[in-house]
Amino acid sequence: MFLGEHGLGNDPCNGLSFHFTIDRLNWAPIVRSKRSTMLDQDLTTPPKSMAERSALHMSWLQPPGLLALSATNFILRFLTLGIYSFWGKTEVRKRIWSAIRIEGEPLHYTGTGKELFLGFLVIFGLILLPITLTTFGLAMYFGPESPANTIFSLLMYPVIFILIGIGTYRAQRYRLTRTHWRGIRGGLVGSDLQYAWTYFWSALLLPATLGWIAPWRSTELQKILTRDMRFGDRAFTFTAKPGPLYGSFSVLWFATLFIVIAAISVLGFNADLPTFDPEGMAEGEKDPVKAIKFVALLYAVLMLAFFSYYVLSAWYRSKAINHFAAHTHFEGATFKSTVTGIGLVRVAVGNFLLNVLGWSIGLALFAILVTPVAMLAPDGTFASGAEGLKFAAITVGVLVLVASSGLFAPVIQSRTMRYLVQNLSIDGTVPLGDIAQGEAQKLTRGEGLAQAFDIDGF
Amino acid sequence: MVSDPGANANFYGRYSDGKTAAATDAELKLGSKGIEIKLPSQIMPLVWPYESLSTAEPISEYAIDALLSSTAAPGATLFATEGTFARRLAGKAPQLTAKAQRWKHARPWIAASALVCVIGLAISIFDLSPSHAIATLLPDKARAKLGSHVIASMTGERRVCDDARGLAALKRLTEKLSKASGSPASFQVTVVDWGLLNAFAVPGERIITTRKLIAKAEGPDEVAGVLAHEIGHGLEMHPETGIVRAIGLSAAIELMLGGSGGTLANIGAALAQLSYSRDAEREADDHALRLMKNAGIAPQGFAAFFKRMKKEEIDFGGDGTRKAIDMVSTHPNTDERIAKIDRQVAYPTKPSLSDEDWKALQGICGPAKPGSDEDSDGQDDATAPDPTPGRKDPSKKDAPGKDNKPVKPKPGRDI
Repeated sequence: MFLGEHGLGNDPCNGLSFHFTIDRLNWAPIVRSKRSTMLDQDLTTPPKSMAERSALHMSWLQPPGLLALSATNFILRFLTLGIYSFWGKTEVRKRIWSAIRIEGEPLHYTGTGKELFLGFLVIFGLILLPITLTTFGLAMYFGPESPANTIFSLLMYPVIFILIGIGTYRAQRYRLTRTHWRGIRGGLVGSDLQYAWTYFWSALLLPATLGWIAPWRSTELQKILTRDMRFGDRAFTFTAKPGPLYGSFSVLWFATLFIVIAAISVLGFNADLPTFDPEGMAEGEKDPVKAIKFVALLYAVLMLAFFSYYVLSAWYRSKAINHFAAHTHFEGATFKSTVTGIGLVRVAVGNFLLNVLGWSIGLALFAILVTPVAMLAPDGTFASGAEGLKFAAITVGVLVLVASSGLFAPVIQSRTMRYLVQNLSIDGTVPLGDIAQGEAQKLTRGEGLAQAFDIDGF
Repeated sequence: MVSDPGANANFYGRYSDGKTAAATDAELKLGSKGIEIKLPSQIMPLVWPYESLSTAEPISEYAIDALLSSTAAPGATLFATEGTFARRLAGKAPQLTAKAQRWKHARPWIAASALVCVIGLAISIFDLSPSHAIATLLPDKARAKLGSHVIASMTGERRVCDDARGLAALKRLTEKLSKASGSPASFQVTVVDWGLLNAFAVPGERIITTRKLIAKAEGPDEVAGVLAHEIGHGLEMHPETGIVRAIGLSAAIELMLGGSGGTLANIGAALAQLSYSRDAEREADDHALRLMKNAGIAPQGFAAFFKRMKKEEIDFGGDGTRKAIDMVSTHPNTDERIAKIDRQVAYPTKPSLSDEDWKALQGICGPAKPGSDEDSDGQDDATAPDPTPGRKDPSKKDAPGKDNKPVKPKPGRDI
């Protein structure tokens, strides 16, 4: 209703109400950020009705042919010794971005395989290779158990942790600058180091607080990412507080504690305790049925415990996702997410099974290639031809394994994205005619760190 | 109409100028030179030449729409909402199809990969080994340092056997073999108090063997054969080459996977490395036979050792799985190795160590302790094809090398 009064136009007076809101909520950083035009809506009052063309309807248009794309990418990765993966990944993203529709019009992914390749190459040369070589060099010079090694790896832990923080931020920046809608690009304009620093020190507090800092931490990190985010020349705002997450978090925390205690007591009651000490081991061996029964129980209990924990944490994650979305605003519109724990679990279980299928296919192809040669190879001779054949078969087999890594990634990624997008909507309206192109962020490479440290699945 | 009824059809699209996020309706036509875009605000249609176009996603046979941009109008986008339009466009601008795009990106890398394969083939055909070349460049000091670290990490807490008489005997045997190699390198053997039956060549002309190997050997010639084999590895710089190769392979796999890691690929790398070591084992065997011949040591001890190894192998895996194991094992097939030794032309031999020295070598770790890991001694006695009646296994706890007859090269056994 607040919005209804202001209408679509860029009325300079609306700026006043905006600034009032900003001050009231203490959003100083946003006001200070570069802005060419003023926001014309109250951010906290949900706008009701607007001219139809400015409401933003989100939808998912399932991209066909993803299985065929999985196969094509696999073959091309094999033929290029794996290097094509950067271009394959890019085509998958183009398909998935195009499947996300706002007002029926697709998102446009403008990144290239070359950028991902260069990004990885630079990180490989500047970080991965030096770390590997230094580790080997130190082990060679001072010996594998020398203090120099230990000191180096202890130093590397925080460095890698900070690099993961930087990588997460930069990957987000790369993707946003390479995401266009109606020709207007996204962006992430803040400092990667600030994000990485928060990421690092708050992680140090996780063990100290027995995990209780987690809701605060994820809210803080999400806040940095959201407030730095741009579409065109406009910023996103984030009003979420960690408080509301603590209810669900304590359920997760105590339930996890309960699961751990329950698992330990079930195992404790069923274990023949003497079999645990070395003296009793020999007696345990005398009764193999008992031992097997116990191992089976051990696995069953651990699986059950892990799965219940996984479901609970998915439930908590769904609460967090929905909470963050509900407090993410853009030009007076607010996001709304309706994901559920069960929904996230269903997606994850399906993806896991697809991964298992992918590994199995890779291993089966390897076995099909290598086994016949193994059987054909004559025994007890030194025929060098047979050796060459074996070597060739193993080499091709290894290439197949390399190429089959992430075989069903196109399907897996689209399943994940589909679930998130189908449960996401934008409440309110946006003055699209006012949103101008933002300043271009000069990036020629992308996601080197994120790829090197395997930060996420896209 | 007979020819292409839709050739001049109009299509519908949404046009954004790239300055704001607004969009306007547009009427599209596939002209002769490019897409003609008619906007309500303009009288003359915009023309985007076909060669200037790019699409948000490559046009596939499944296309249901197309999001276009053009270098002729930077920033602007055109969203054509019909699959028919996309497919007709693919006919006019074939560079936009998925097939063309993939081929364009993959082609240079396929060419590069073919080149890598040719180089790899050349390396294997002409027996070039880049890792070996790098290994030979390592200064002696670095190799020695590397060797002592490897030994330190392998032996760990275990005791190094140091009975003075045993060490002297071991030194005599090692020097004999070193000299027979004709190389200036002098090898050094360390015996570790370890219940594992094995011997390793280590960088810097060092060799490690174990108490159990010496205990299981039925004569000095068997130990001599094993040491000659390990010296062969050292002469070929296999340990150094292996370390260089491991670093190189893991870097290459990391690069191929785009850093995304992968257990499967690591298994693959390990397998690839194994097939190198089989060639290396063969080279070491060839050296071993040459060394033993030069030193006048009978190779039958070496063969006898393999035969007992093979026996254990079968006990362990069963003959049915042998072929599969053979494919991935580090060593050449045992039959192969025995056959090769048997093909040796006979030459005059003398025992590699005197009776006294052999006894001393057996005692290098001191008397065997009760409760140590010589668990299969009894079985060993039963299976060893031992023609000498009454001879006791040297490793028996109650008879620490006292009343043992030294094992001489047994005539008629393998020749």
